Amino acid sequence: MKTKKTLGLAAAASITALSGAWASEINIAREMDANNYDPHKTTALAAAEILFMLGDTLIAIEPDMQTITPGLATSWEMSEDGLTYTFKLRDDVKFCDGRAMTADDVVYSFSRWLDPATNSPVNWRAGEVESITAPDATTVVYKLKSPFSELLYQLTQSFATIIDKNQVEAMGADFGIQGMNGTGPYCWESWNPRDQLTMTKHAGYAWGPDFYENKGEAQIDRLVWQVVPEENTRTIALMTDQTQITQYVPYIALEQLKSAPNVNVVQSDSAFWTYFIGFKIDKDTVADPAVRRAINMAVDQDALAQGQFFGGVLGAHSYISPETKDWDPALEAELPPYDPAAANALLDEAGWVPGSDGIRVKDGVRLAPVGYFFTGSTWQKLSEYTQAELRKIGVDLQIEVFDATVAWGKMATQEFDAFGMSYPYVSAGDALNLYFPSTNIPTPNRMNWDDAETDQWLDEGKAALDDATRAGAYSKVLHKVHDANVWLPLIHEPRTIVSSTRLAPIVPHSNYGAALYKGLDLKLVE
Amino acid sequence: MSAVDAAAAVEAAPARRHWFVALMRDPAAAIAIIVFVLIAVAAALAPWLAPYDPTESTRNMMLPPVWAERGIPEHLLGTDGQGRDILSRLLYGTRMTLLIGLIAVVAGGGIGSLLGLLAAFYSRLDPWIMRSADVMLSFPAILLGLALVAVMGAGIMPVILALAIATVPDSARIARSVAVGVMKQEFVEAGRAVGLSDRTLFTRYLLRNCISSIMIFMSLRFGQVILLGSALSFLGLGARPPASELGMMASQGRDFMLFAPHIAIIPSLAIFVIVLTANVAGDALRDVLDPRMRS
Amino acid sequence: MINALVNRLLLSIPVLIGVVIFGFLLIKMAPGDPAQIMAGPAATPEIIARIREQMGLDQPLIVQLGRYAERLIQGDLGRSLISNRSVASELGAAIGPTVELMIASLIWAVPLGIGMGTIAAVKRGSWVDRAIMAVSVAGVSLPIFFIALVLMQFLGVTLQILPFMGRGGPLWTVDGLRHVAIPALSLGLIFVGPVARMTRSSVLEVLRLDHVRTARAKGLTERRVILRHALRNALIPVVTLIGLQAGYLLGGAVVTETIFSYPGIGRLAVGAILSSDFPLAQGTLLVLALGFIIINMIVDMLYAILDPRAQKS
Repeated sequence: MKTKKTLGLAAAASITALSGAWASEINIAREMDANNYDPHKTTALAAAEILFMLGDTLIAIEPDMQTITPGLATSWEMSEDGLTYTFKLRDDVKFCDGRAMTADDVVYSFSRWLDPATNSPVNWRAGEVESITAPDATTVVYKLKSPFSELLYQLTQSFATIIDKNQVEAMGADFGIQGMNGTGPYCWESWNPRDQLTMTKHAGYAWGPDFYENKGEAQIDRLVWQVVPEENTRTIALMTDQTQITQYVPYIALEQLKSAPNVNVVQSDSAFWTYFIGFKIDKDTVADPAVRRAINMAVDQDALAQGQFFGGVLGAHSYISPETKDWDPALEAELPPYDPAAANALLDEAGWVPGSDGIRVKDGVRLAPVGYFFTGSTWQKLSEYTQAELRKIGVDLQIEVFDATVAWGKMATQEFDAFGMSYPYVSAGDALNLYFPSTNIPTPNRMNWDDAETDQWLDEGKAALDDATRAGAYSKVLHKVHDANVWLPLIHEPRTIVSSTRLAPIVPHSNYGAALYKGLDLKLVE
Repeated sequence: MSAVDAAAAVEAAPARRHWFVALMRDPAAAIAIIVFVLIAVAAALAPWLAPYDPTESTRNMMLPPVWAERGIPEHLLGTDGQGRDILSRLLYGTRMTLLIGLIAVVAGGGIGSLLGLLAAFYSRLDPWIMRSADVMLSFPAILLGLALVAVMGAGIMPVILALAIATVPDSARIARSVAVGVMKQEFVEAGRAVGLSDRTLFTRYLLRNCISSIMIFMSLRFGQVILLGSALSFLGLGARPPASELGMMASQGRDFMLFAPHIAIIPSLAIFVIVLTANVAGDALRDVLDPRMRS
Repeated sequence: MINALVNRLLLSIPVLIGVVIFGFLLIKMAPGDPAQIMAGPAATPEIIARIREQMGLDQPLIVQLGRYAERLIQGDLGRSLISNRSVASELGAAIGPTVELMIASLIWAVPLGIGMGTIAAVKRGSWVDRAIMAVSVAGVSLPIFFIALVLMQFLGVTLQILPFMGRGGPLWTVDGLRHVAIPALSLGLIFVGPVARMTRSSVLEVLRLDHVRTARAKGLTERRVILRHALRNALIPVVTLIGLQAGYLLGGAVVTETIFSYPGIGRLAVGAILSSDFPLAQGTLLVLALGFIIINMIVDMLYAILDPRAQKS
């Protein structure tokens, strides 16, 4: 018995000793891989979390998601008409291959982002660009055709990562697949899709954002990003120290992990990632505003957050979380309360009569909206919970599930009544400009929300030159879409990081959901 | 008339007369058959036996079975991650799993055996049928299931179809090999000599002489089909929520392995017991009916 | 033997053509627009239309099939819609790990199964036989995912002696072996039962045959009789079984690879099909079918080696 025990312990020790080849190496577990690591050709969170570490942006954003802070640019200026931004760059920045970064690289990166030949799905995030030029090696002039109050926030995103022209041209279609030479705190080592991506620290790195205690070289020599699709495996991998840090921990495990001796759990205070169900407002089943309001009153989001997610998320009552930049607190009193009885009464009043099976009918229309959802355990919980709640008011939500890659195509059609979606955002403007302009029908404005006032206010917000004007314009949009109950908000998801106690605790970042952001504070405890 | 009688005499193997008695004399087989029948009956009666609606979720999530700490008698086997009664889901899930296996084996085995018999009966057809079977064999069931799901979307139909199609080539091979042996026997010659039609020869002699072997193959195949079907469901390709199916239940339960292992273990054990009893019964059936066929 | 091989090769041509056409059509029928998938979630209709044109998706089906076949002959399997990596390199990276996993599974499971089966046959009717057969039938009846989850829990979590996540490296490295251990144990376990059962029945069969009786009559020891005469012949059906069960093994590999995040071709195939990555899905189907043909060829060769009579005919 005794020998057996020692054997087990010795072997356990050897698991941790596996990383012996490197002075310090940690394994980071995540749920899925990205399709590629070309900043202009992917919108995946899995890509953003890698790109933030491999590369840098001109400006960075603090964990509060409000404050813009210097990155590769030491300072920037906006002209009075809001059309010209001038960035002053650091002169000591080097790519991983040792070449010095200059303003030309910045111009190249942004030009490629905007070039129609790149087919970037996210080039709208760069604004309506007139020209981007480099008067000298450390100055970049970014000229817009019309003001874009979101620009600085958009430039903190991974899409605005500065890339290496020489490498892009040398690699062609393999850029972001075979390699990605950036200026970030870590350098690309290798990638085996759906399995592992490894990176090593960038020697000589010295331009980390100010809010990091460590602005210099990374404190870990090598990072191994391991794809582990199974929730249970990720959890036990953490508990057995096969992985040292992850932000993809099932909520059910959080409580237990919090009390586990060898694991730290930290959660961001606020959430900038929201799950919602959107309604196609011109479909018979959900065209009636009373139906949409009743649905919003029938679902108990707080119980959902507690019961299905064990309190690891926040019940969402609004389309963006109340900590978001330009959120209007005055709106909170107007949001529909949870009240199934009132919801039932509202539907009765509107003429929706329960049939023999309990499902309401009006003018031959059965209240059985077809909802399209993604596969995966989170959407399974959300959709099945909503289905059960809505049944109580005589609404029979039909759940149809699609794998992510197929789902995007299906959700671009007009064949459904409702759709489940989740998204990260930096500000109210970021969220609203994505989903509500009529020009974004049929996708991402899958609701077919076609409203001249909304369009006008969104333009006002975009063109605003001061904070008050911008916040005022977006507030009007927020009021309008919440009043119309275009969505059913479900949960706001904060970033949670679970890590081994061998690592120093980390403050989770919320930028695009990439909780480790630049990874500069990853450090082994002595 | 005399030819027919002669053939009937050949066909009636002595061991078959009391095959059921012989079967029940083997204690392992007897237990397996009784357990299997009990499970099948319970599954068939699921709507009447199940204490709860299998899709109804309560706020009582991840309750352990009644014999464990925290277990309550209202939920004998506990509840799953959505707070649904596991016993009720188990009953409905078993019904679904058995149905999937049964339909797939009967349809696939039936078509495959027919093709195999035809191949043996009409030698012209033989290369075509067996070559096609080879092509089908190079698409293993799991890939077929994946491909069909890609076309039809996840659901029970593509899984049944995949399992049925995957059963076709194997049963064609078995049926052919048995039938080729039968075709060599004298009564077929005799039947032809007295001018019996192909149809009569095929149905009354060939089919009747091969049917027991085919049945044995199907019963042995049943367990394998159940396992494959549950693997497909486990991968998320089978039944869609909120329906109950054992493989899917196990799959949903694996996320809770650490904190509520019973959610995955109970349906897995149910699959194990079903397949085990089917295999033991199938083996015994083979030993009793056809001691020669041992592969 | 050469003849048999050439025959096999010739016969496999129609099989391969069938697989190519089948794979092409099946994937074409699938929902999901390749151009949309390639363009990604936020693409505008113009981008999608441009990609469709670039990929020749606006051409008639038969033209697309022709082009697909033409490229196949040149060895070009296309590029993944999702990662834009070449399908050949994706497959290249995934085949090795799966072959390793299968080898690591069979290398212990087949000898163990043969050993168990032989002992059971020799001790026919004894409690040893009954015990071995009971274990085998139980092994055959266990769902692979259950075995995998239990082994992971026991060896990985309770005892913490083996890792259970990903692949550590090539099979011949210590890290590679450790990482493949639990998956190979799980996958091998489902194979022990069938091999044991098959061995037992065919050894019994052979023991009844004339030349074995003669050998016995000549006074050879029972051990020699079994090892030299019976086992060799009894292995023929076992070898056939492995060929026939390759599909079963692959099914097990898909589940095993999924549970243990093992980067093999099974997981690649599942991922490609579920994400409608058409070129990659076609590539995996083709490679797997090819794998089957190769396995069956190896089986034929082993068959010829084991059974001298087959060589003559």
